[in-house]
Amino acid sequence: MGQDSWAKRQSRPSITLIAASLIAFLAASLPLFYLFRRAIDAEISEISLILFRSKTLEILATTLGLTIAVTALSTLIGIALAWTLFNIDLPFRSTLQALVILPVAIPSYVFTYSWISLIPGFKGLWAALFVLVLATTPYITLTTLAALRRSDWSTYEVAQTLGLNGLQIFVRVTWPQIKNSVAAGSLLSALYVLSDFGAISLLGVDTLTRAIENIYRGSFDRSSASILALILVAISALVIRLEERSRQRLHIIKSSNRIIKRAKTNDKLKVRLIALFGIGSYLALGLVIPLFQLLSIFLANSTSINYSLLFKASISTLTAACLGALIALALALPVGVLSAQGSRLGRVSDKAILIVHALPGIVMGLALVSFGSSIPWLYHSLLLLSFAYALLFMAKAVGSVRSSVDRVPKNLIEISATLGLPKSATFRRVVIPIATPGLLSGTLLVLLAAMKELPATLMLKPIGFETLATQMWSYSSIFRFNEAAPYALLLVLIAAIPTFLINRPDKGDGIGGDQI
Amino acid sequence: MALKRLRFITLALALSLGASLLTGCASQKSESLVIYSGRSESFISQFLNQFTALTGAKLDVRYGDSAALAAQLLEEGVNSPADIFISQDAGALGAISEAGLLAPLEQRILDRVEDKYRSSRSDWVGITGRARVFAYSPERVKTLPFSIDQLTLPIYRAKIGIAPTNSSFQAFITALIQSRGEAAALNWLERLKANDVKLYEKNSQIVAAIDAGEIDLGLVNHYYLWEVSKALGREIAVANGFFAPGDTGNMINVAGAGILKTSTNLDVSLELLTYLLSDEVQREFIEKTYEYSLALKDANPVGLPALSQIPSPRVDLSLLANLSKTQALLIKVGLI
Repeated sequence: MGQDSWAKRQSRPSITLIAASLIAFLAASLPLFYLFRRAIDAEISEISLILFRSKTLEILATTLGLTIAVTALSTLIGIALAWTLFNIDLPFRSTLQALVILPVAIPSYVFTYSWISLIPGFKGLWAALFVLVLATTPYITLTTLAALRRSDWSTYEVAQTLGLNGLQIFVRVTWPQIKNSVAAGSLLSALYVLSDFGAISLLGVDTLTRAIENIYRGSFDRSSASILALILVAISALVIRLEERSRQRLHIIKSSNRIIKRAKTNDKLKVRLIALFGIGSYLALGLVIPLFQLLSIFLANSTSINYSLLFKASISTLTAACLGALIALALALPVGVLSAQGSRLGRVSDKAILIVHALPGIVMGLALVSFGSSIPWLYHSLLLLSFAYALLFMAKAVGSVRSSVDRVPKNLIEISATLGLPKSATFRRVVIPIATPGLLSGTLLVLLAAMKELPATLMLKPIGFETLATQMWSYSSIFRFNEAAPYALLLVLIAAIPTFLINRPDKGDGIGGDQI
Repeated sequence: MALKRLRFITLALALSLGASLLTGCASQKSESLVIYSGRSESFISQFLNQFTALTGAKLDVRYGDSAALAAQLLEEGVNSPADIFISQDAGALGAISEAGLLAPLEQRILDRVEDKYRSSRSDWVGITGRARVFAYSPERVKTLPFSIDQLTLPIYRAKIGIAPTNSSFQAFITALIQSRGEAAALNWLERLKANDVKLYEKNSQIVAAIDAGEIDLGLVNHYYLWEVSKALGREIAVANGFFAPGDTGNMINVAGAGILKTSTNLDVSLELLTYLLSDEVQREFIEKTYEYSLALKDANPVGLPALSQIPSPRVDLSLLANLSKTQALLIKVGLI
């Protein structure tokens, strides 16, 4: 409902917003600035050796092909899951809605390893496609579910009165309303594939991120690696541009007295069984089988668990990830608001944040090492680690901030103005509450991603500060997956808490269900 | 409702921020030795703890991947808080040494190991050794190869595993280029690839794959046998084999350590290196980690020949710092 939203009516954004957004922009530019500085050091001969070899073409083709295939598949599955969970009356629906998000909490190398240990010879492009589709589907499921919950039910009723069938209603009524959110989720999925190292390396697939990692490993040649990373930046800029073009102005005018009513649920037993089978299959492949496999690896050769270490690592993980999510929200909020208002600064910052999201963790880690090591009080502090999480993952929040703010109806703002509230109070008392569900789900994604982050964590964590992911790594790097398993399981368990909290069953439709 | 939740979460987050800043400040100032260790915690921490118990020196260890830590040290440059870098392989140490970040070591420390196991710039020293071997299935491999050249024979077609992105394999190829020249190395790699060699990310995956029956033979470091067996909690059906004397396939690589120029704690750093190279700790390395001691020439891990008995080729470890030529070759062949 673009032109009628609060955001579009703001003629001049406030100074505070601009300043906050500028900070976010500078923060996001930090790793890009680092890459340019390193790339300048590269010699022409090195550059041509890297760029003009047939392998580079192959790597580019693999990277693009895999990104497109994974994104397309996960988008289809994500929409199907969200639509089913929203429209069909299933037992334990809100529990299922939270469960389908959880695969996102399993680190991709753990996820991949469990499949490798289950199926000998599980390798290559198809295996990568399988693993990455399962791992990235929750991004689309979550954003689509949120959009469905926000969609305007009065139009559905009109459509039904007009005698449209289910498919027609989806194409002509539902799709226009969820399209932008689906695109935002697909973008996250694409950027995930571009930056993934864990799954790709274990399965032996050569993408740009793996090539970058190999250069660091083999020759410690930071300038060549930076050139490849800049190619990755270019690709992600392209992907981001695509998503932006697909984003459409919504022309549906919402009635302000929205009918908050769930869609008429389809109660046919056959339909419900098929739906349960579909959701069950996804959960089995994406959550139950990997976790069960981890558990059996642990039980097959169980060692005594150091509970105090496990507890400490859990607290550390939560502290750093929560702090990272908070910083991400603080940075993403002004950018999302400005971007929704159509401000150029907002849009540019928005893009910078998304581009940075596609960078491999090692690049982000080194960029912050380069920046942070000259500031002794900051270096190897929890603050810098959380800041790294925010930089790496705030892209997951900025899209939902943008779309949530874009949805605030203008008449509420007018009422607020009539009542004599200043702009800032309107923002705090009208805009924020309405945008909150979107902000929460965005922040949740940042939190879940930060909890499992590894390469930047290893470089930036305070000494002696162990997270579940670093503990898991310290065992799995020496092949002791049995000892790593309890940490992986606990990680998923802890991740489940915020996921269920935000998807609270007593709230009916959970995220966004009780709002607007 | 949602707003209340947001407020609650914001408050919780703000509290955790405050708490973490406080603890952060509290732990800022300390007089301990900062170690960057590319060797895993389960491997090295027992020895570091013993050192602390013995000397009272407090050690702060940052564990990570050797290559990533080396990149981090290069990025930190003169601002590095690290005193010591313990690395999994010579390459990462060489890269740091080449950048001029390591301080020269005392001769008495260097002399604990043969000169081929330490830096030619005298700024890092090898601590333990690992031999390249071929791991194989005694059940399925009836004809053992006596040279790496035989790996390109049809009898091993689709039965061999390598880990081309792994630094230990790349070190071996670097040695191959050094001994035979680039053209011959290229030729060998091409023939190996044409023999349908299977690619893995890690040495441990290769050993596990042999045990699982996916492949019959693989090029790895000697100690992965124990590592994988320990991880699986059972005996595995895999054995180590050596090629004929002098074959590049038997090369010895080292794990070692160096002291950073930025070290503010030189005395304790030197003391730690001395300790790690002492006879008793070297003996423990052999017993507990199955690695070779570089200081005790005639002691060996169970079931393996002594270091001096391994028919290894002479390899200049300082060449391992830059594997870009090797990588270019592997890229050309299409293995990485």
